[in-house]
Amino acid sequence: MDRRTFVKVGCIGSASVVVQGLDPMVRAEAVAPVLPPIDLHDLPDYKSSPLGMPGLFPGRVIEARDRNAIVSNRVSQPIVRRLLEQAMKELTGESSTRDAWAKFIAPTDVVGIKINPSGAPACCSSPEIIREIIAAVQSLGVPARNIIVYDRYSYEIDIGSYQALLPTGVRIVGIQDAFSGGGVGYEPTVYCDANFFGEWETRSYMASIVAHEVTKIINVPTMKDHSAAGITGALKNLAYGTFNNVARTHRAPHSFTNPVIGLMCTVEPLRSKAVLHVMDGMRQVWHGGPLTQVQNFIDQTGILLVATDPVAMDTIELETIEKKRRERGVPSLWQHDLESVTPDSRIFFHDASKNLFFRQPGHVTAAGKLGLGISDLKRIDHRLLSS
Amino acid sequence: MMTTEKNNTKSAANWPTLLGDNARTGGHAQVRFQSPANAVWQYRTASPVRSAPVFHDGVLYVASVNGVLHAINPATGTSKWKFEAAGQVHSTPSLLGNAVLFGCDDGKVYAIDRNSGKKLWEADSQAEVWSSPVVRNENVFFGSADGKAYAVDGRTGQTKWSQELGGRIYSTIYAEEHQLYVGCGDGKVYSFDAASGKILWSTATGNGIDSSPAVVDNLVLIGSEDFFVYALDASNGAVRWKYETGLGIASSPAVLGDFAVIGSKDGSLYAFEVQTGKLRWKTVVSEVVTAPPVIGGGVVCIQAGGTFALDMDSGKIVWRAGLGGAIQSVPVLVADSIYLASLSGEIYALQ
Repeated sequence: MDRRTFVKVGCIGSASVVVQGLDPMVRAEAVAPVLPPIDLHDLPDYKSSPLGMPGLFPGRVIEARDRNAIVSNRVSQPIVRRLLEQAMKELTGESSTRDAWAKFIAPTDVVGIKINPSGAPACCSSPEIIREIIAAVQSLGVPARNIIVYDRYSYEIDIGSYQALLPTGVRIVGIQDAFSGGGVGYEPTVYCDANFFGEWETRSYMASIVAHEVTKIINVPTMKDHSAAGITGALKNLAYGTFNNVARTHRAPHSFTNPVIGLMCTVEPLRSKAVLHVMDGMRQVWHGGPLTQVQNFIDQTGILLVATDPVAMDTIELETIEKKRRERGVPSLWQHDLESVTPDSRIFFHDASKNLFFRQPGHVTAAGKLGLGISDLKRIDHRLLSS
Repeated sequence: MMTTEKNNTKSAANWPTLLGDNARTGGHAQVRFQSPANAVWQYRTASPVRSAPVFHDGVLYVASVNGVLHAINPATGTSKWKFEAAGQVHSTPSLLGNAVLFGCDDGKVYAIDRNSGKKLWEADSQAEVWSSPVVRNENVFFGSADGKAYAVDGRTGQTKWSQELGGRIYSTIYAEEHQLYVGCGDGKVYSFDAASGKILWSTATGNGIDSSPAVVDNLVLIGSEDFFVYALDASNGAVRWKYETGLGIASSPAVLGDFAVIGSKDGSLYAFEVQTGKLRWKTVVSEVVTAPPVIGGGVVCIQAGGTFALDMDSGKIVWRAGLGGAIQSVPVLVADSIYLASLSGEIYALQ
């Protein structure tokens, strides 16, 4: 099947879901502009891996939690170590931690660890969790020089101080600087092409480090709401952290994060290389994501989710943040109401009833329709490990 | 022929290293208290700047991330020369005689002739050097992400010793006559012998360190990612006092007499009495502070999204400028001028 035709079919399907089913509060003036055709270009001749999304355990999500894993904003290294070990064994059914990790990583791999530093310092992938992942990967015989901790913007990595906090020998890479040209560090033959709002550059290219350098990716998203996508979880951390020029998919109050996030995750070799997702729920941002620094909107919950299925993981995340917002008495992530939209980011950052866009949490279900995982809660094997 | 920085003081017209001089006082009494009125010139480096400028003998030196060291005429804002290194640069330059020194992501420290812009020597490490090279008694000291502290000959770049620590080093070494101090990614503050590199003491904090120490009156002041500001006994590393901020600390202290000030990632500047650790004031300036503040003419200056000047006695913000949108650079205060580098790659001269 032609990749473009396939994508168009997928988009029409997902768009109709949003309008007809999952978004009952939508009003006539809030209907999104027509989704344009989207071309996806994989890395030529790339052979898909059976470890690729949804991976070895579709629909399985392990949730390990310990209230003492984070106290006064400090993450406990030993508790995180225990939670991760327990979750990995539960996910894989292995009795040893080493065997659990060996399901995904071989000593010859070049392992990319995709962090999310965009909310640093208030909420970003905890260096304590990254240290444990690095230690586990190294225990399999992967040398430090073959471990690459990366994200899109180097200055955000700096704010998180990952350079100083991670072990020696591990490479820490920002794909681009915020104000430098976006072309360097990206593979020109692998891209997503669409004209959403008349922008002059219609392509988003895949990071070269993903296309060519790493052989496996361990994805470490955080647990946050997102002003455009509804939530930012495993899917968005991968898609919008791997491709450049992605902000163009939003023009307030509209956003095409649904279905673009899922579509980007299907592009090879990203889909095949992303073999494991470790969601950092030490902190939960229930409003103001992804960049908020307002502590009133950040709960310290001490949760770690582990899965190979990013759709199932994000479905659990979406439920969690929706529940939190209900408890706090603020509008649903699904609400599309022009009166709740503000163009003023200062208002948005301090008023949980306001938002910048019509959020698109339907991107998770849309990704499920693309075969990336399971979004039906009844079919998700959500296992809780409590201390 | 190279000359050597003989002591920790600076002439009134120079700003030769991070925070002004090796004592990290970071300020000049002549600096204007008032808000700058004019932007005199703007220089584009064509790359982000994530280090601080330095000033020496009428020339401003700035390293941009794309690996270019710029020598700029401060009167006109025009380029005198440029030197391109083999990797990205995040290191603040230092001056040693007629050489400009800076670290590079290719693992080297470069010495560049101040007049010609030509390379004099280079010194090797095994990973990126983001810290600023520090000069003392014809020696150059620097830490590397390979986990080692190095001493090299300031005339040749030849390694005199290297000392392995327990983690990455992004902290800039503080050099006294016989003793060095530095923070490390393993969460410890180390002191070692300047001549041999032998570790004299180490003190653990609760998380990694990328803050750079200042030493005053036998106290080592430094911040940690464990949220605390520490004052350690310079002789033995004993904790004399510590103060908890709201988030981790990547900023470095600036000191003047019994006054010390440091930023926290919680967005505040904290000012202390050095000897007691008593908080003089705390002021929220931005969402995040990671750069070191500087002290001058009764004000504390900080780049944290914009540029802010706070009254040194009260902590009250007395002026702010939208220019200098960076959170990793440090303003240079020379006479009646302020030089700012921005994340977007512009250098500004304000008067």
